[in-house]
Amino acid sequence: MIYVNDLCKQFGDNKVLQNITEHIKPGEKVVVIGPSGSGKSTFLRCLNLLEQPTSGSITFDGQEITAPRTDINKVRQHMGMVFQHFNLFANLTVKQNITLAPIRLKLMTKEEADAEAMRLLNRVNLADKADAYPAQLSGGQKQRIAIVRALAMKPKVMLFDEPTSALDPEMVGEVLEVMKELAEDGMTMVVVTHEMGFAREVATRVLFMDGGGIIEQGTPEEVFTNPKEARTKDFLSKVL
Amino acid sequence: MEKLIEVLKLGIYQTFILKDNYQYFVRGVGITLQVTLFSLIFGLILGVLVAIIRSAHDQQPENRRNPVLGFFNVLAKIYLTVIRGTPTMVQLLIMWFVIWAGTRSSEANLIRCAVLTFGINSGAYVAEIVRSGIMSIDKGQMEAGRSVGLSYAQAMRFVVIPQAFKNVLPALGNEMITLLKETSIVTVIGLKDLTKGAMIIQGNTYQALVPFFAIAIIYLVMVLLLTWVMGKVERRLRESDLR
Repeated sequence: MIYVNDLCKQFGDNKVLQNITEHIKPGEKVVVIGPSGSGKSTFLRCLNLLEQPTSGSITFDGQEITAPRTDINKVRQHMGMVFQHFNLFANLTVKQNITLAPIRLKLMTKEEADAEAMRLLNRVNLADKADAYPAQLSGGQKQRIAIVRALAMKPKVMLFDEPTSALDPEMVGEVLEVMKELAEDGMTMVVVTHEMGFAREVATRVLFMDGGGIIEQGTPEEVFTNPKEARTKDFLSKVL
Repeated sequence: MEKLIEVLKLGIYQTFILKDNYQYFVRGVGITLQVTLFSLIFGLILGVLVAIIRSAHDQQPENRRNPVLGFFNVLAKIYLTVIRGTPTMVQLLIMWFVIWAGTRSSEANLIRCAVLTFGINSGAYVAEIVRSGIMSIDKGQMEAGRSVGLSYAQAMRFVVIPQAFKNVLPALGNEMITLLKETSIVTVIGLKDLTKGAMIIQGNTYQALVPFFAIAIIYLVMVLLLTWVMGKVERRLRESDLR
C-alpha cells in the first residue's frame, strides 16, 4: 500500500533519515519504536508529506505522492493522522472538528457528516461531548476524538505519531483500546509509540529505528524476545 | 465664581446655539464616523490579506519557495516599511495634494480620499497585528487541518484565522481607537470633520474652551462606545475557551 524508496530527510546539515526503503502492506499494523531523535516521527510525517523528503520517493495506493504534480490534499484525504498533542481545532466544537473536512471537501452533506460524526462518537463513548469545545475535554477524550476526526474521512491507512505520549497515565488505556478496536477491524496502521505492550499485542511487524535508519525489524516476537542487533538489545533493556 | 459661570454660559451659547452652530458637531460626528468606519473595513481587508501573504511566505519550507508569493511578500514588506515609516498626516497631504491633485474638492471626494489614506495606513498596522496572531497559533492546528485533506487556504480560513482573530482582538480594538482619533487630521485637507467643526466655531466666535472640550468629550464617548462593542465581541468569541 505504501512503498517508501530510498527516503532521505535533512534539516540543514542534520541527516534525520538516511536511505529508508520500506513497504507497508494493506492490513498491516506496523509499530515503529526507537530512542528519541531516531527519526521515527519524521519518518511517519514523511508518509503524508507533512515533512517534505529531501530525496527518495513514496508511493501510496499506486500513486507516487512525492512527484511534483501530485495533489497532496487529495492524497491526505485517504491517510488519517493522529498527533501526539491531539491538535483538535480549538475554535470548533467536537462535532464540528469531525465534520469540518468532510463538509468543506464536499464529500458529505452536512446531515450525512453529522450522522457519521455521531455514529463514530458513539463508538468511542463520547456522544455526550458532541457540542463541547476541546478545552473542556481531558487528554484521553481529546485523543479519542482526534482518532474519530481522522476516521470520518474513511482513510485507507492511519498514521499515529506517539498518540499516548502526552497523556496522563490513567488515560493511556482508553486511547489504546480504541486503537486496538481499529486494528481488529482491519485498518492499516503505522504507529510510532513507546507503548511496548501495545506493540507486542497489536503489531504485525515492529520496526526498530535508530540514527535515521531502520536497524532491525520483524514480528513482535522476534524483535522483543530475540533481538539480533546490539542497539536493539540496548534500547529494549532500557525500556522493558 | 459667578464670573466664570457667566463666561461659560456665553461660551456654550456661542458654541452651540448661535447661528445653529451645533450643526458643525452633528455633521462633524457624521463625517468622522463615516471616515473611521470605511477606513476600518478597508484597512481590515487589506491588513488580513497582507498578513496572509507574509505568513504564507514565511511558512514555506526553505527549499520550496513559491516565486509569485515571494514577489508579493516583497511588495508587502515595502508597503509596511513605507506606511509605518512616514507620518499619517504626510500621507494624507500627499494623497490629496499630489496624487489626487486637481480633483474637485467636494465633500464626497474628500471623504473618499481620507478613507483611502486611512485605510491604507491602518492596513499596515492591522497586517502586523494579524500576522502576530497567525504566528501565535500552534503549528499543530495547521498540520491537523492539512492532515485531513484541507488545502492551505481552507485550513487558514476555517481553523487558523478564526483563532488568530480572537487572540488579536484586544490589539485590533486598540488600532480602531487610534484610527478613530487619528481621523482628526483630515482637517489639513479641509474635510469638515468633528475637529474641523470646532476649529471653525473657534474662528467665528473666538471661543476655544467650550468647543474644544466639547469635541474632546465627544471623541471620548465614541471611544467608550467602541470599547464596549469590542468587549461584547470578545466575550462572544471566548465561548470556546470556557472550561
